[in-house]
Amino acid sequence: MLKISKAFTAVLFGLVVGSAFAASAQTVDELVASGKIRIGVNSAAPPFSVIDTSGKVIGYDVEVGEKIAEFLGVDAEFTPYATAARIPALESSKIDIAIATLTPTPARAKVVMFTIPYVTFGSSIISSKDDKITSLEDLAGKKVGVARGTPQEVKLMEEGPDGMEIARFEDDSIAMQALVAGQVYAIAVPDTTFIEYRKSRPDNPFDFKFSLQNFFMSIAVRKDAYELQQWLNTVISFMKVNGDLNTLYAKWVGKPLPEIMPEF
Amino acid sequence: MIIFGLNFGPIVSVFPALLVGLWLTVLVSVTAIVLGGFLGLSAAIARSLAPRWLKWPIDAYVEVIRNTPLLIQLYIIFLGLPSIGIRLSPIEAGIIGLTINVGAYCTEIFRAGIESVHKSQIEAGLSLGLSRVQIVRYVVVVPAVARVWPSLVSQFVLLMLASSVCSFISLEEISGAAYTIQSATFLNFEVYIVIGVMYLLLAAGLRTLMMFIGEHLLPGPDRSRRRPAPKSVSTKIVEARP
Repeated sequence: MLKISKAFTAVLFGLVVGSAFAASAQTVDELVASGKIRIGVNSAAPPFSVIDTSGKVIGYDVEVGEKIAEFLGVDAEFTPYATAARIPALESSKIDIAIATLTPTPARAKVVMFTIPYVTFGSSIISSKDDKITSLEDLAGKKVGVARGTPQEVKLMEEGPDGMEIARFEDDSIAMQALVAGQVYAIAVPDTTFIEYRKSRPDNPFDFKFSLQNFFMSIAVRKDAYELQQWLNTVISFMKVNGDLNTLYAKWVGKPLPEIMPEF
Repeated sequence: MIIFGLNFGPIVSVFPALLVGLWLTVLVSVTAIVLGGFLGLSAAIARSLAPRWLKWPIDAYVEVIRNTPLLIQLYIIFLGLPSIGIRLSPIEAGIIGLTINVGAYCTEIFRAGIESVHKSQIEAGLSLGLSRVQIVRYVVVVPAVARVWPSLVSQFVLLMLASSVCSFISLEEISGAAYTIQSATFLNFEVYIVIGVMYLLLAAGLRTLMMFIGEHLLPGPDRSRRRPAPKSVSTKIVEARP
């Protein structure tokens, strides 16, 4: 009985202390004092973050996180999370910040606080190098491949010209295959899909034609961590100006970071 | 607590797209059933008559097709064949893929039917003075097909349902049309219910049609005994009498 009540007290104490920690706003000083920053990344979002064959997470987001740790003068500790687990992990204080391909949306901003965007994620129209297409209007009468249920599909359905045929495939890589097989004239895929393909087939006859959409991604902190958010904004802005972000983007995504990214 | 209700209103406006899908499903599966049925029958007859060197390619065809996923077969036809210069439209690729697939299953079904014909019946045919062609036709194939007809009907219904895989090669048949409507309207359950009913009606219709064909064109297990033998055969029998 005594044992049980002791254990119970311990649990209760843990809960109280834990919630006390969770309740206090995360500050830059705290991170510096603890000597490390715990960063959540997306578990499968190449080239932003991906787990390599040795089980280590690598990618653009990871290297941005390493830079941030460097500026803080602490060690970075990365934990990969599935898409749906990123925000809960932050809310439950398992991590200090999330650099996890999170697009700042009004719904998410009710739960966590976002920094200014640190990267952009685009989709483009890809077709043969010799093609001279510059806008969706040029695709009238052509067959365009796209993955089902993606923002690209919605964009083509809403803004594609009359007479443009949409061929829907299960995912971006099958759409890419359909282009390679000549089953479609062009495809609308995330830039990263084509960049990854181009890496494995450098002699391919395709190229970016024009940009279809752009999404921006921000670092997320807990809702009350104003000071940390402001410090991160400064760091992101600094890394934009000194070219660090551009260098990392060129390394992982293979093209320069777009000049215009929203700030808020 | 009910957090959402079903809303079939928007389905009405997209119904034409589902009807186009329905037509494509019927077109692709019925063509594949007819072609695949004949492919299977020919392969099974060839296998039972052929010398050994012709048996193993037929067996290889049956085993390769029956032991690989239909989706992979379709991807090879649609995305793989262009690399050797054969580019097929989604409809062509769908029909050819399903035909090859159902053909292999039909070969097995027909083979089982053919093997069920007892040797004594063939001997009886020989002793009645039937020619080799007549024996194959009246003693072996027709009774064999009649005997396996129910399993054949099930196989054809399965193929019709499996034709939904053609949506993976961008054919907007029922399932493809449904996925498209779903990503535009987010009415997941409503769309699934509507296409579920469509498949159910299609399957019931196909089964009824096939059973009707079986009843009227094939000798049933009971009727075959009472059925008068075909003219040419009966003449032979009369001639054979002393």
